[in-house]
Amino acid sequence: MWEQVGQTLNQSTVGVLSRLASLLPGLLALLVAVLFSAALAWLIGIVLRRVLHGIRFDERLESWGVTGLAEYSPQQSPALLLTRVAAWSIVLAGLVLGLGAFEATLTSELTVRMFEYLPNLAAAIVVLIAGSLVARYLARSVLIESVNMNLQYARLLSLGVKWLVMVCAIAMALDDLQIGGGIVHLAFGILFGGIVLALALAVGLGSKELVCRSLERESSRAPADVEEPIRHI
Amino acid sequence: MADSGVAQIESADAVIGLVPPASRDSQAVENTIARIVGTEVPLRIALIHPPLSPNHTEFLKAGSQWHLIASPRLAQDPPSLAQSLGDSFRATFEMAQRLNSRACAVVASDLSATTVDWVTLLLQPVIDDRFDLVAPCYARHPFEGMINRAIVYPLVRALYGKQIRNPMGPDFGMSSRLLLQIAGSSRPRMHTLPSLAAEAITNGMELCQSQLGPRIYAVPDFTNLGSLLAQLLGPLFLDVERYAAHWQHARGSQPIREFGQPMYVEAPESTMDVSRLMESFQLGARNLQDVWSMILPPSTLVELRRMVRNGAAQFRMPDATWVHVVYDFALAHRLRTISRDQMLRALTPIYLGWVASYALELEHASPEAAEQRLEKLCVVYEETKPYFVSRWRWPDRFNP
Repeated sequence: MWEQVGQTLNQSTVGVLSRLASLLPGLLALLVAVLFSAALAWLIGIVLRRVLHGIRFDERLESWGVTGLAEYSPQQSPALLLTRVAAWSIVLAGLVLGLGAFEATLTSELTVRMFEYLPNLAAAIVVLIAGSLVARYLARSVLIESVNMNLQYARLLSLGVKWLVMVCAIAMALDDLQIGGGIVHLAFGILFGGIVLALALAVGLGSKELVCRSLERESSRAPADVEEPIRHI
Repeated sequence: MADSGVAQIESADAVIGLVPPASRDSQAVENTIARIVGTEVPLRIALIHPPLSPNHTEFLKAGSQWHLIASPRLAQDPPSLAQSLGDSFRATFEMAQRLNSRACAVVASDLSATTVDWVTLLLQPVIDDRFDLVAPCYARHPFEGMINRAIVYPLVRALYGKQIRNPMGPDFGMSSRLLLQIAGSSRPRMHTLPSLAAEAITNGMELCQSQLGPRIYAVPDFTNLGSLLAQLLGPLFLDVERYAAHWQHARGSQPIREFGQPMYVEAPESTMDVSRLMESFQLGARNLQDVWSMILPPSTLVELRRMVRNGAAQFRMPDATWVHVVYDFALAHRLRTISRDQMLRALTPIYLGWVASYALELEHASPEAAEQRLEKLCVVYEETKPYFVSRWRWPDRFNP
């Protein structure tokens, strides 16, 4: 019996070791691909940065009227943004190349599924980051414009817009992650509709007096076509 | 659409561009053209105007030195005022260069006030006295052109060292030398209008200004003031960045030669109602602290908060605070602390606060007193310039 136990253990050890050994070339290939792509990205990053600085890329871009890009660039330099995008693209390409080699030896279905899930995870992260940036930008725009239009409930409007966009982004991210399924759609519908209704109620009913006062002030003012004593231009 | 009338003329001594505001119909443009070309001139002058109605009357007498050229590129579009004015200016410049003109003028104010004297005052200093840029001076009203009074004139004067009353025109006279400079500039000009004065000053050209008399203004849309500020100050702050090497070395300011006599318009007798302006400022101070704190240093924020607590009668915005605000916004524009458009729009409530303070101070004041008040503000701009230079050079330095 002991002999059979020993034989089974032996076979199991050999099986695990041989499986590990079959994974090793793939792992090594992944490591080499990532290291090589990182080195290549570093080199291309340096060259690209020098070339872009040499041709005064930032100034040219501004003179062509492309000014929005700088706002989202590190240190407000589109040249730096381009360099980083190029470098990280190369690293990502190396990673994908390495994973391709790795996949050939991948036996565990769980691992395969985990790797298959990675793009969804990446997409969800991107959606969340983009959603948060857009929400912040729109909320600030609405706040400034509402204040300039003398709306007393400017902050409420800004907050409403921010959460509308955030709820939308979170629902899209969960959809990408395939979490929740129909519940997410339902919850999103309820939440989105709820925020719109809440805003409508807050402005229409909750802030009734505020709106009345605001409208009264507007109506008591001189109409636009009557000349104002102060002229801005 | 091609320019019509240009085939009949090969060269001209001067070119004039008429850019009517959107509120003016073609009849008003035709009346203005008739008024201008009805006067005999000793020079060959090409007048560029927007296309007229098909049944318009013939303006030119036989043997007239005037030539009319219709161009669809001459127009003002209120939603994008600076852009459309820039396009109209460029169309006039191109025609002036094509016709080898010695001088060029653009009239973009409300045309019902435009007379042949305006054209003469804008062109004569260029042709007779060899000036490169003739800027306009309008009849001085204490409460008109407030953006120019509060920001544009004092800022341009403090930075570039020349006392140009209306650096953004919009009516200008220019020499062929300045046109060549603009056309040959290595940096393309997206916004021609605010760049003219800066381009002329930084290239050592001769500047003067002509007293054109009263100017008629379109009624401004109060709710669009933020957009107007962004349109006017965006290009101005871009130029501040572009000419940083020049203005950092300029000290004080010098007057420039003036043609014609200054005219003054009395302020209205009625009591000034500034409640709306104050309300905008207070609303901004309550809601925009987060945005302002990304642009302004803590001491200025504290000062603004203190002003909110003051009652309407005691409300005053010190010039030093206002000037620091303008300089800090110009710096934030360069650093792109937040989106430039949002940032410029966020200046609106503070600007309205300063206007309220100015109006309360100058209620029932004479035009001369208003001029002295403006001079005082300009001096504060000049005295505060070292702060701006220092922040420009070392923006990351601690600024309490």
